[in-house]
Amino acid sequence: MAQTMLFALRRLNRLIALLVGVLLMACVGFVLLDIVLRQLGSSLGGTDEISGYVMAIATAWGMSFTLIELGHVRIDVLRSRGGSRGRAFLDLVAMLSLAMTVALIAIRGWPVLARSLANSSRANTPLETPLALVQAPWLAGWVWFALVSWLTFLAALALVARKDFAASESAIGTFGELDALK
Amino acid sequence: MIVYLTVGLLGLLALSIPVGIVLFLLGFGIDAFFSPFPLTKGLGNLVWSTSNNATLIAIPFFVLLGEILVRSGIATRTYAALDRWVSWLPGGLVHANIATATMFSATSGSSVATAATVATVAMPQAEKLGYDPKLFSGAIAAGGTLGIMIPPSINLIVYGFLTQTSIPRLFLAGLVPGIALALTFVVVTALLCALRPGLGGPRRVFPVSQMLRALYELIPIILLFTVIIGSIYKGWATPTEAAAVGVAGAVAIAAIFGGISLSMFGEAILGTVKISSMIMLVVIGASFLNFTLASAGIGRELQEFLNSLGLSPLGFILVIVLVYIVLGFFIETLSLMVVTIPIVVPLVVEQGYDPIWFGILMIVLIEMALITPPVGLNLYVVQGARRGGDMSEVMLGTIPYILAMLAMVAALIAFPQIALYLPEVLQ
Repeated sequence: MAQTMLFALRRLNRLIALLVGVLLMACVGFVLLDIVLRQLGSSLGGTDEISGYVMAIATAWGMSFTLIELGHVRIDVLRSRGGSRGRAFLDLVAMLSLAMTVALIAIRGWPVLARSLANSSRANTPLETPLALVQAPWLAGWVWFALVSWLTFLAALALVARKDFAASESAIGTFGELDALK
Repeated sequence: MIVYLTVGLLGLLALSIPVGIVLFLLGFGIDAFFSPFPLTKGLGNLVWSTSNNATLIAIPFFVLLGEILVRSGIATRTYAALDRWVSWLPGGLVHANIATATMFSATSGSSVATAATVATVAMPQAEKLGYDPKLFSGAIAAGGTLGIMIPPSINLIVYGFLTQTSIPRLFLAGLVPGIALALTFVVVTALLCALRPGLGGPRRVFPVSQMLRALYELIPIILLFTVIIGSIYKGWATPTEAAAVGVAGAVAIAAIFGGISLSMFGEAILGTVKISSMIMLVVIGASFLNFTLASAGIGRELQEFLNSLGLSPLGFILVIVLVYIVLGFFIETLSLMVVTIPIVVPLVVEQGYDPIWFGILMIVLIEMALITPPVGLNLYVVQGARRGGDMSEVMLGTIPYILAMLAMVAALIAFPQIALYLPEVLQ
């Protein structure tokens, strides 16, 4: 059950990460187009503003992929010296603090969107982008990250409770970047 | 507050809590214990305004650029081409290791991918030609660190963002020390191998025709770097736009030289998303900690702390250098930079030092952290790509380069102009 869920989360986040990549590539294309147009004397305008929104959204949605791929850096000087029980314990502590922090960010993110919705705020720029339009997908990304973190934590907790340390380690352990090369 | 920060930082890091999260937790602690106003209320706004930033999108762009170049096999071809050009020096192929690692980790967000690529191509050659493995592998590990100094550098973008200093100026400031360090590595290698040929391997001179053919493979890469850096200084493009141009250029080069495929591109994208999000979690955490520290009035407390130490500005910088060397044994690169910037940079600026200059000094120290045991990522990367042999060989091999870095630290302190001349002249 725990394993199945982790597997599903991994597949899903891989797909999301590819979509994030497509979004980034679209932004590359947009910036290039603007540079070319500028040389010809006109400009799309607002590339900086749009790049900013893309960055916020891409960052939010990329987070859970990095989590699942064990990409968020941890200092494992002490951890690597522990036994499998010690490591599992530290992994759970790390995962729990991450899940709680991210949940708090997602909760505190809501007022940002709510205010934009209530005031129909627009960006103070020539584009006058309705802020809710870009803040909604941004916040959704953080909510998704919070959800993935809690689900991963619970799954790992279940694995540790079953004393399946190897499986929990592959879900929330650290991964030497070396393993990524194999 | 300073004691709380130091103990909290080291303690939480030792618990192996993700670095980005440690920074948030410290910020929450500052809010709970030291601030008269509730600061976490602004958390949502802060995360939004930090990540909604056009400058930072240069990070995923530069990472993607490097991923494409490394994964499409361009790095491998460059290595072969550089071999034709530099192997006549005493030390032979060792110089190709330095040059290739320098060029590619310069853009690749993952020095791992770079070092791994160079190591995989280079190691079989070393065995075939009978090189001594120590200096040979040490050069890859050390060369791979230079990339964070020579622009475009993701670390400098992060430094500039967190300290509100100009990224184009930082890039300019990194250029001379970065190239000087690379040349120092070459000179050190040549000297060592001239004195004790056993450390290197055979010198090989290639016919001019082969050298010229190799040049053909090098031109696109050199052109790409020139366009990126040039367009920033000519004012044609912001760092962000230059990064976008770089991505397009990398795709074009990969397409021309072959090696581009959908699956390769997918891998490059996944790698980019993974590395950029990792960087961003740390960056967002650091801006939150920055914000809480500023609100809780760390400036005044740091000032008092400094006065109580009674150090001269020079003595102070030496203490800072020592702290980085010690921390560098255990923490490295981005984490070391980002966790210390909110505390250290205001102190340094308070002493009358230039933040641009300090950014460069910090980068050299961070580079050293990458190859000092027990935690030195590049050591493990190179070791991982070798077939057999002992880890201590790689460590021994990096010693000459670590000494060169220490010399650079001393030179930067004695002659800040090494870093500051270019940005001052070109402004």
